[in-house]
Amino acid sequence: MNMRRSIVAVSVALATSVIAASCGGSSSGGSGDGTPKKGGTINILSNAEQIAHLDPQRNYTGDDLAFAGSTIQRSLTTYKFAAGDAGSEVVGDLATDAGTASKDGKTWTFTLKDGVKFEDGSDITCADVAYGVSRTFATDVITDGPSYAMTYLNVEGEYPGPYKATAAQQAAYDKAVTCDGKTITFNLKSTVADFNYTTTLLAFSPVPKAKDTGEKYDMHPVASGPYKIESYEVGKSLVLVRNDQWSADTDTERKAYADSIVYNFGLDESAMDERLIADAAEDQTAVSAGILPENLQTIFEGGDKALTDRAVNYYDPFVTYTNLNVKSLSCIDVRKAIYLALDRDALRKAGGGPYTGDFADGFIKPALALDYKKATPVEGLHEDGTPNVEAAKAAMASAETNCPDVAAHAKAGLSFYYPDTDIWKKALAIWIDSMSKAGIKIKPEAVGDPAQYWPTVMNPETNYDIARGGWAPDWANASTVIPELFTTGGGFNLTRNADDPDYKAFETKIEEARNTLDRTEQGKKWQELNQFVVDHLWALPGTFTRAQSMWGSKVGGAFQWGPFGAFCYGNLWVK
Amino acid sequence: MSVSTSPRVANAVETISIEGKSPRQLAWQRFRGDRLAIFAAGVIATYVFIAAFAPVICAVLGISPYRLDGAALNDFGLPKGSFGGVSSEHWLGVEPGTGRDILARLMYGARVSLLVGFLGTLFTTSLGIVIGVISGYKRGKVDAVIGRITDLTLAFPSLLLIIALTRPLTQRLESMGVPEGNPARIVYIILVLGLFGWVYVARVVRGQTLSLREREFVEAARASGAGTRRIVFKELMPNLWAPIIVIVTLSLPGYVATESTLSFLGLGMLPPSASWGAMLGDSVRYYRADPTYLFIPGIALIVLVLAFNVVGDAVRDALDPKADRQSL
Repeated sequence: MNMRRSIVAVSVALATSVIAASCGGSSSGGSGDGTPKKGGTINILSNAEQIAHLDPQRNYTGDDLAFAGSTIQRSLTTYKFAAGDAGSEVVGDLATDAGTASKDGKTWTFTLKDGVKFEDGSDITCADVAYGVSRTFATDVITDGPSYAMTYLNVEGEYPGPYKATAAQQAAYDKAVTCDGKTITFNLKSTVADFNYTTTLLAFSPVPKAKDTGEKYDMHPVASGPYKIESYEVGKSLVLVRNDQWSADTDTERKAYADSIVYNFGLDESAMDERLIADAAEDQTAVSAGILPENLQTIFEGGDKALTDRAVNYYDPFVTYTNLNVKSLSCIDVRKAIYLALDRDALRKAGGGPYTGDFADGFIKPALALDYKKATPVEGLHEDGTPNVEAAKAAMASAETNCPDVAAHAKAGLSFYYPDTDIWKKALAIWIDSMSKAGIKIKPEAVGDPAQYWPTVMNPETNYDIARGGWAPDWANASTVIPELFTTGGGFNLTRNADDPDYKAFETKIEEARNTLDRTEQGKKWQELNQFVVDHLWALPGTFTRAQSMWGSKVGGAFQWGPFGAFCYGNLWVK
Repeated sequence: MSVSTSPRVANAVETISIEGKSPRQLAWQRFRGDRLAIFAAGVIATYVFIAAFAPVICAVLGISPYRLDGAALNDFGLPKGSFGGVSSEHWLGVEPGTGRDILARLMYGARVSLLVGFLGTLFTTSLGIVIGVISGYKRGKVDAVIGRITDLTLAFPSLLLIIALTRPLTQRLESMGVPEGNPARIVYIILVLGLFGWVYVARVVRGQTLSLREREFVEAARASGAGTRRIVFKELMPNLWAPIIVIVTLSLPGYVATESTLSFLGLGMLPPSASWGAMLGDSVRYYRADPTYLFIPGIALIVLVLAFNVVGDAVRDALDPKADRQSL
């Protein structure tokens, strides 16, 4: 899943086997709060103009998944709503349990609970789930979402999604996803041992066909969870109120303490921090994801214990990196020059120094212990993050002879897409300064609304050379990292690497890794593939991130939910 | 007798020298007498000098507005040392987050502010004079139409419109061939300043023209067969300069401030260019951690605007003896 705020981030020294384990100490908000009680309003402060996607099949941002998944939408399975290690355990949500796999792991069945309803009172049926999942295939309308359904489901022939499918195509889909009463069966192309982790994604949540408005569904999805949308005004607010059709008996995780949850959009980033630091009456029930670097010292080392207790500094599941457009930067010498010239140390400082995290060696965080092996960096790269200008110049010089066109393009100006926020303006200045030392020019392109950054760069029409990236595994397997980020079928591939001469070989290896059933053997394959990408410089590893969040003095249950690196919004309560 | 004549002769000489002074010389004499104004003019001259030679000064001091200095920052990315990282290397400290030299950025920022101020004023004033003279001299229907347009322009919430139109119009300018980025932004700011600023000049010029065209010397010129062109340039214009100069000196600081406002709102110069408004906008975030950073661009801006206002007032006093506050 992709990430929202902050620029850089960390290597985890003592990471254990599960993702959430790296978030040690993240439970600080969960204990010593007293007994949770019902009532009140939780306010979420945000600098975005809207939530990137509320359409369950399009939602793929960690923070938004935690928000929508804990409030308005339910999927087949879910991570437990708990702090620490417990938060990475998968349990049944709409399904009675965490699913049953056939012996070969190619067929997965889930049985829906009794009494689960949409906000209009109609029962959630197997057909609704099957329809919801089928929407993922309509990639012309349902953009930006995860692509696991397309990768895994054994649908014969081309299936263009429910909007355009012919009867025969729809029949092919219906063979892959079958319904028998309350039981839904997924027939997969190959063994997927952890498919029930895949189904925690909201992409596997139900959508009533009659209420599907296609592209517009994003603005008003039908609720299946304890909250429903009362109003949603872009740039202003999203107001959630109780959904009386939701029954607590059908839900082991959602507690729905607050009477309403209000998402406040379009706020100034520094104003958000100021409000939470000041903790005035109205903001005592507010939370915000992320703290600006200039306030870190005040909050964490300013000596005000009451303030420090309302904030958390933890290793989140994300890795930040920089995507290079391999199509326009088809020459590895130029990509190498960019990486060697980049002042990663300055970027980390601008983001708050050690609070941003540790320099990443690859794209797999050490928390994925089975899949992580420290990657060998590109020759000449300084491990302390400082630029190696001489080596960068040398790389540019060899680019001049090997690929004069690409070198000329880099000298003329590489288009650099960045979210138009204060931190990114500084990051931009660092990029421009670092690149100029290797003779590379940066052409800045600002994206006004930070929430529109991913949709903008994921649009194939957008001609960037350099775009930011931030990714967390969808579950504890690098199969949710390397293929998602670097294959053409991946849900978040911003590298446009399909034409790289080595791409075919890479894809073959991906298939091999996917089909390796022994988890340790598979882990080794992911390690090799991680090294492959590091060597090919399709993207440049940035940081294994840390994150910080703050909440008001009257907010209870403000722990960081490991798999998402976000608040478990739906279970926040007012003291 | 000869003794008694000499003072008279001396008197006569003195009288002649006073009579020989043109209104312009008189104004200059009055202006020179205002010591505050002279000081303010000196301040402006210093700013202009610094702006013009910013690259040279930076090179001499060994600083750069773009060079990063991570060594000057602590773990949180904040300046090391007191007063925002003031040191022998960075006289006014460094920018938090990047370690760029504030003095260098301030000097480069002055270039943008003054460029926009001067070009904006030049454009606005030229437009205002032309429209004002036409309106006042032609009278009748032309005057009525221009008058309504003036009213309409004055009624526009100009700053809001400038903010709303920045992105679409700069893109338009870029597609029309104006170099991308800052040049397009500067051209845009100057264009919109002109679009909304001309009315103030035009209204004053129109009023003056209306009264001047009925005066005897204009009648006389017309009677002796002078054409419109001659009347406008030789008879009217010399009498319009005084009010125009006053408007110019008073509107310049306004434009400098407008540029800062737009940059503050993120609509002015693009990063990484230095601009006072952008510096102010950035520094506000650090008011707690690094207050010095907030004061520096603020003081630079206040001093410049104040200096322009003082000079503007003094020029008005000098050109219009009736309004001379010193003699009141």
